[in-house]
Amino acid sequence: MRDLKHLIEFENLLLEANNELVRQGKADGNLALGYTCSFMPEVLLDLPGCFSVRLRAPRSSTPDMATYYMSNRTCLYGRSLLERALEGGFNFLDAELATETCTVTCRFQEHLQMMNIIQNPKFFCEFVDVPFKKNENSLEHYETQLRVHVLDRLHEAFGIDTSDGALREAIRQHNEVCELITKIGAYRKLERPTITGFEFALIELVSLTCPKYLILDKLRDILEDLQSRQPDEKPAYRCKVVLAGSENDDPYFTKLVEDCGALVVADRHCYGSLPGREQIEIMDGETPLHAIARHYLMHEMCPRFMEQNTMRERKQFLADLAKEYHADGIIIEQMKFCEYWSYERCIDTLVLPRDYGIPVCSIEKEYVNAATGQLRTRFQAFVESIEIKKIQGGEKK
Amino acid sequence: MSRLTDTLKKLRSIDYKKAAKDFWNGKPHGERQLGKLYEDKTGLYKHREWRGVQDTFYYFNRIWLYNYAHMVMDIMRFGDPISFAKGLVRYRWMGQTYLTVMHWFDRGLEGLRGPALRASAWHYRAMTCETIRQFQRMFAADTKTKKDGRQNRLWHTTIAHDETVSGSIFYPWRDVLDDVPLQMIPYFVTCHVNNHTVLNYIDAIQSIGLPSDPCPMCQAEAGLCVMDDYPDYSPIIITSNEACDGSVATSIIQDWYLNRPLFAMPQPMRFDDPLVQKHCQEEIKQAWHFIEEHMGIPFSWEQYVKYAERQNELTRFEREKWDVAANTPYYPINGVAQALYRIYYSQDGDREIWHETDRKVRAIMERCVRDKIETFPNTRHRAIAWSCAPLYYSNWCTWAYNCWGINCVINMDSLMFDKILRTDTYEHAVEDLATYNEWAPMRAMAVGGYEHIFRLWEFMEKFHCDMVIMYDQLQCKGMQGIHGMFEDEFRARNIHAIWIPHALPDKRTVSRAEIRTIINDYMTTVMHEEPLDASLLEFDDSMSW
Amino acid sequence: MKVLKVIGKIAAILSAVYAVLFAVFYFDLDGKFFYYVFEPMMVKHFDQMKHRDIMDTPYAQDVK
Repeated sequence: MRDLKHLIEFENLLLEANNELVRQGKADGNLALGYTCSFMPEVLLDLPGCFSVRLRAPRSSTPDMATYYMSNRTCLYGRSLLERALEGGFNFLDAELATETCTVTCRFQEHLQMMNIIQNPKFFCEFVDVPFKKNENSLEHYETQLRVHVLDRLHEAFGIDTSDGALREAIRQHNEVCELITKIGAYRKLERPTITGFEFALIELVSLTCPKYLILDKLRDILEDLQSRQPDEKPAYRCKVVLAGSENDDPYFTKLVEDCGALVVADRHCYGSLPGREQIEIMDGETPLHAIARHYLMHEMCPRFMEQNTMRERKQFLADLAKEYHADGIIIEQMKFCEYWSYERCIDTLVLPRDYGIPVCSIEKEYVNAATGQLRTRFQAFVESIEIKKIQGGEKK
Repeated sequence: MSRLTDTLKKLRSIDYKKAAKDFWNGKPHGERQLGKLYEDKTGLYKHREWRGVQDTFYYFNRIWLYNYAHMVMDIMRFGDPISFAKGLVRYRWMGQTYLTVMHWFDRGLEGLRGPALRASAWHYRAMTCETIRQFQRMFAADTKTKKDGRQNRLWHTTIAHDETVSGSIFYPWRDVLDDVPLQMIPYFVTCHVNNHTVLNYIDAIQSIGLPSDPCPMCQAEAGLCVMDDYPDYSPIIITSNEACDGSVATSIIQDWYLNRPLFAMPQPMRFDDPLVQKHCQEEIKQAWHFIEEHMGIPFSWEQYVKYAERQNELTRFEREKWDVAANTPYYPINGVAQALYRIYYSQDGDREIWHETDRKVRAIMERCVRDKIETFPNTRHRAIAWSCAPLYYSNWCTWAYNCWGINCVINMDSLMFDKILRTDTYEHAVEDLATYNEWAPMRAMAVGGYEHIFRLWEFMEKFHCDMVIMYDQLQCKGMQGIHGMFEDEFRARNIHAIWIPHALPDKRTVSRAEIRTIINDYMTTVMHEEPLDASLLEFDDSMSW
Repeated sequence: MKVLKVIGKIAAILSAVYAVLFAVFYFDLDGKFFYYVFEPMMVKHFDQMKHRDIMDTPYAQDVK
């Protein structure tokens, strides 16, 4: 397939957290607001006068300083973020809007509070308590937390306009981005998809880490470009897969999967778009903040939700994704030391093939993609097993 | 001839007065060689310790005989011998563990004398009694040990809950229903008594694809599902997010295995925030509603008040105990008895056995204070133990006192659940219950902000401690995630802190011998001290219970 | 006199039982029995026991 517009630029933008567009956003007089977890609604951090930056630590190697503080037995995502912060890589942040949604990222953010790491006199780190259920009680609680710990805090500290009007404007911009990304992502549903998982991962990650107003035009260009893009005569992939699992902000991991012959057609992981890029709908009589809280709480599919029905629905959701995106199998990745996903991966690996007949490849990975040789072997074997199943299925027919 | 001469020489050289004194009183600390009592590897005794006539016979009569007898009598009192026997042969955690209980007493009470021996032993007795009550209830209601798998009346009137859900939640039904924590006996208690069993469960969960790095406690709890080793004794299950991510995640497997109506009762993470309280209170109310709906028995305010008041009595006495422990050398409870008893009863909630025990312990403690009896007279260091303890070596503090004179006065989990529950109005009750559960063992310090775990300095001062035993649970992400900050603070405050690495129930990761070596090394190389009992420095107990 | 004899006999038997129990206690014979005989027997028993496979448990969306 011919190259998509802006993709090389996007790839370069993802090489550092304080990238060109972030610097431009700051130069335009906006505040850079960091966050780590999808439970922190990015739309609230994209209010007029500020923009959200979901933290990544690209090009990380061994986080030596962070390992002193957090030991070598914690997830490398949290440690790499702390290392990057200690190196000064997050000094551009004006605030960190934190969540205690998983232990290690929480501890990373607490280090920002404790150690005065971010060399920015205005900087603060504020925590939001995020509920574990999707009921009315949780929604009310979540909304209150977002109002007090995000909106009021931003207003008090920086004078940000947090009125309903400003929120509606933020939602409008957010929805525009989501709509574009969803339309772009829909090309993955085609019988012969005209966008690769790697390309889509670049787009999704840029949308999470750069000021939205600076990428909107580029997203429109990409969508337009896709409308006339033709698939390769002979597909470069041998099967299609859903990539699911824990934190994964490394587009080269997706590329690794695709290099092994499995086209990634759906991304259901912490930095993915499924869920994540659904548009926020404001119901009649509903305040924008309530709509945001409801949207984020109800759409989230994190394994930290512990109600019986939500625990079980997650498997159905994954199976539905595989069906909708015509995937032949699911790769479930789990960041080493992620407790939520270690259990979720375990049960997914057992229940999805049994109850839905979907082949699953279950792997553990590091933040820094060091074990590529071993992973490559696993993915190649998985692709082959799917091919064999297809052949056997064909013979039976 | 020469042999006879040697023997005569030896006999002449014996200090008979001293020998008689030692026989009567037991050898004084400093001359004992407790390490020589062990058989190699197994931790069994060549012979049990001679503690002097009075204490040896106290141990024999009032601890060994008394508890063996009660282990039979309690079986009859809390159920029937047939369901006990069925449980014994059906469940590994029961069959392998129950009869080894007296060795658990032995390990915890080694070297103790006088009031310390008596008060600590009463704590052990109470835990044994309550354990029997719980498993007898489980077995009596269990469908798995019934021929036809029928659900009897007890099955319909027992509530199963995660062991980290406090028993206090179920007070409104205590007279008509019974609440039995799912993992308390199969996992938690058995780890202390005989840690051989838990290894099977850890291996079992890993055998179905769970990686080895999550908290091993949660792994073992999930492994019990894989081994199908939980009794089926209740129509419902109530779970919680206490204490950590691992607990939340484990419920994914537990839900699958139990496959029955489940209510998740999460506590907020940022619980210092006044705004979270309403949410937490509402979750408790919804849990109550769930019980009403599924068990068909209405909430009883009278029962709640009755049991909450009784629990308050326990809390008040705990505070008195802390006062004595913090400010005098007369506290008669050793480190392991303090830690286990406190976490057991505070988690379990009010039961008559805790009151009986507290009455006995109060009498002993008051006598110690009145007569100024120094219960741990060879204390060189007053230590506070922080974070989660190694369950397979909870008696490390008995060893540390005997070997080095390190007296573990208090530990982190003992200080949790420190709240008097108001019973004047329903609203106050729910408010207090919410806060109470937020400040539960393990979670209170580990989550909700680093300020909590740093309350160590405050408690060190309060309990007049000069040393910290810092438990380093290798698979606890919360504690590992703040390791370096502790190192920095210990240096800045010039505090003697000994890090004890461990993997909670799994002795294969860090053995007991390695733990002792770490303490030995610190005491010799940093503190430049000589051991009180050199025979305890090195011994092999790798295969012991 | 007879009564005293009976009492004496009972006392002697009880004393003997007490002495035996003390020997069991002092030499940790209970521990040795459980460690070397009882536990291995139980381990063998449990290792041979068949358990329900967790894979046989359904995973329905609604649990009643």
